[in-house]
Amino acid sequence: MTKGRIFAALATACLWAGGAGAEDLQIGALFPLSGPNATYGDVFSSGVNLAVEHINADKMLSGALSVRYEDSQALPQTAVVGMTKLVEVDQTPYVLSAFTGVSKAISTLAQRSETVAVNGGGVGPDLAKLGDYFWNVIPLANLEVRAVVPYLAQHDMKKIVLVYVDDPLGQSILEELEASLPNAGGELAAQISVPTTSQNFSGIAAKVRAAGPDAVYIASYGAQQIQIVKQLRDNGVEAQLVSYSGFAVPDALALPEAEGLLYTTQAVDYDSADPVTQRFVSDYSAKAGKKPSAYVVNYYNAVRLFALLAQGLEKKGEAVTGANLLSERKATQSFDLVGGSVSFEANGTLLAPIQINRIEEGAGAALETVSVN
Amino acid sequence: MLWLQLALTGLQVGAVYALTAVGFSLIFGSTRIFHFAHGATFVLAAYVFYWAYQAGLPAPLGILAAAVAAVALGVTMDRLVYAPIQRHEGSFFTVFVASFGVGIAVQNIVGMVFGRSFVTVTTELSRSVKILDGVYVSPLAWIAVACAALFFVGLQWFLRRTHVGMALRALSDSPELIRAYGLDPRRLSTYAFALGSVLVVPGAIITAATSGLNPALGHHVMLISLAATIVGGIGSIGGALAAGFLLGLAESLALIVFESQWTEAVTFAILFLFILLRPAGLFGRAATS
Repeated sequence: MTKGRIFAALATACLWAGGAGAEDLQIGALFPLSGPNATYGDVFSSGVNLAVEHINADKMLSGALSVRYEDSQALPQTAVVGMTKLVEVDQTPYVLSAFTGVSKAISTLAQRSETVAVNGGGVGPDLAKLGDYFWNVIPLANLEVRAVVPYLAQHDMKKIVLVYVDDPLGQSILEELEASLPNAGGELAAQISVPTTSQNFSGIAAKVRAAGPDAVYIASYGAQQIQIVKQLRDNGVEAQLVSYSGFAVPDALALPEAEGLLYTTQAVDYDSADPVTQRFVSDYSAKAGKKPSAYVVNYYNAVRLFALLAQGLEKKGEAVTGANLLSERKATQSFDLVGGSVSFEANGTLLAPIQINRIEEGAGAALETVSVN
Repeated sequence: MLWLQLALTGLQVGAVYALTAVGFSLIFGSTRIFHFAHGATFVLAAYVFYWAYQAGLPAPLGILAAAVAAVALGVTMDRLVYAPIQRHEGSFFTVFVASFGVGIAVQNIVGMVFGRSFVTVTTELSRSVKILDGVYVSPLAWIAVACAALFFVGLQWFLRRTHVGMALRALSDSPELIRAYGLDPRRLSTYAFALGSVLVVPGAIITAATSGLNPALGHHVMLISLAATIVGGIGSIGGALAAGFLLGLAESLALIVFESQWTEAVTFAILFLFILLRPAGLFGRAATS
């Protein structure tokens, strides 16, 4: 009788383990799918969906991987509601996040619920300090500013005016410019903050002109950054315009008034010979009819990172939970992602060189690559 | 010269505010319907003009298409949303919620049809020209001010010199009196919506070319229209026009003293002061007991 019970228990355990191994996995994504920043959601999800397609086609995991999207509208309050749903209702162990304000808002919940949150779009430097469960697969804005300031100084653009959105991202770029410009022999001639909801910048243009800058650094995002560029140009501001990786979206690049604008992104070697990069570039280009942007790379990498970690856990017979994903990441030296083999810093952030680009005929052309830390 | 530049900028912004606010004020003043979807009408007109521009149609055809779309939305709202509600219940709150809902629906439909990202109409008219040292004005700024003046004069003539206009002025006071004179208040209400909606068209087109568009623009438009209507005096077309210019100028000139993030607060500080000190607004009629 005892032997029979033991056999039955073992058989049940085996069946359970087999069933768990073949379970489908779901991750969450908190992207702006409506509102003035929805264009980012389209770009981010194109990278996510391609990664899921590749992972399922390769049968990297025992079950199928799917993504549960929640609309954050790029607003912290809305994002917290979405994050709560992903954690409490859908019980996703891994959530993709974007935007600095949103990422900061959800990080507490991620930490408390031991859910891994991965940012591939927000660049506020504070995002490196949000705890063990918050990771960044994108270099942060302080690195972008540190890369572009010496470039501007070398090209005789030392008097800078900053037009920045009054939120954690804008504040962090202001702090970094204040710290970096004096070292490069430059000066911050004026700093003009704008509220996140502002849409009219003709008055701002008058103030910018009055300051007589060599270059204007624009630290905003979404529809607003495009409106700023258009209205500065329409209202007689002829100085060099400069921005950060937030400008690397199709709408912004296509704006005629943005021609010649300088912006930074992480450097990605799209010509790398590694099979992961080659497959990503060829499949994305075939689908979208254009080269992928850094954002597409980041979110493809974020999903691929999950698959690699979950694959490792499944091989060990461990459950795919946030805590186990974190342990697995810490135990793994490097990951084969798009752009090559990468590793994480102790604070959960990827280090990558920064590329300075100029908009030429509606597309970004790389000028030079800078290594910063 | 910064103050002069900001004053000229304020006039352009104020002209757009004035045109939009006059439309809202006309509708609210005549029908007492809180037409929150007025912002959606603005967005629809702007996007229809943008569509015509993208399709390569001549500008006059684009303006006509925008006007037709704006009037169609306004009249449809009146006939198919407000009229049934007023027949059954007609409470202010129900009408407001219905209007709010339609506003959101239109915003999302515009987003689905035209995309949710930023779009703009590119024209040389939005490019500023140097008129004095450090002072730039775009041709569209003059066009905006001229449109505001022209539409205001035309509207005043219509309201004072035509039977329909006079009936519209009487409608807000007493729909019963209107009936006694053999006029149909519902038909007059439709006229008010048609006229009020067409008034957003110049502002919508100018915005498409200057600030650019996204489907969520309607809320800001509505907020400014409401503020201008209250500051100008509810029911006063001239008051709404003056308040539109006042708010535009205040918003722009505030940049001399404040950071730009406070300029919207200046608008609402003015609104607050009027509510406290002059609740009837600039040209509104004082409430009688």
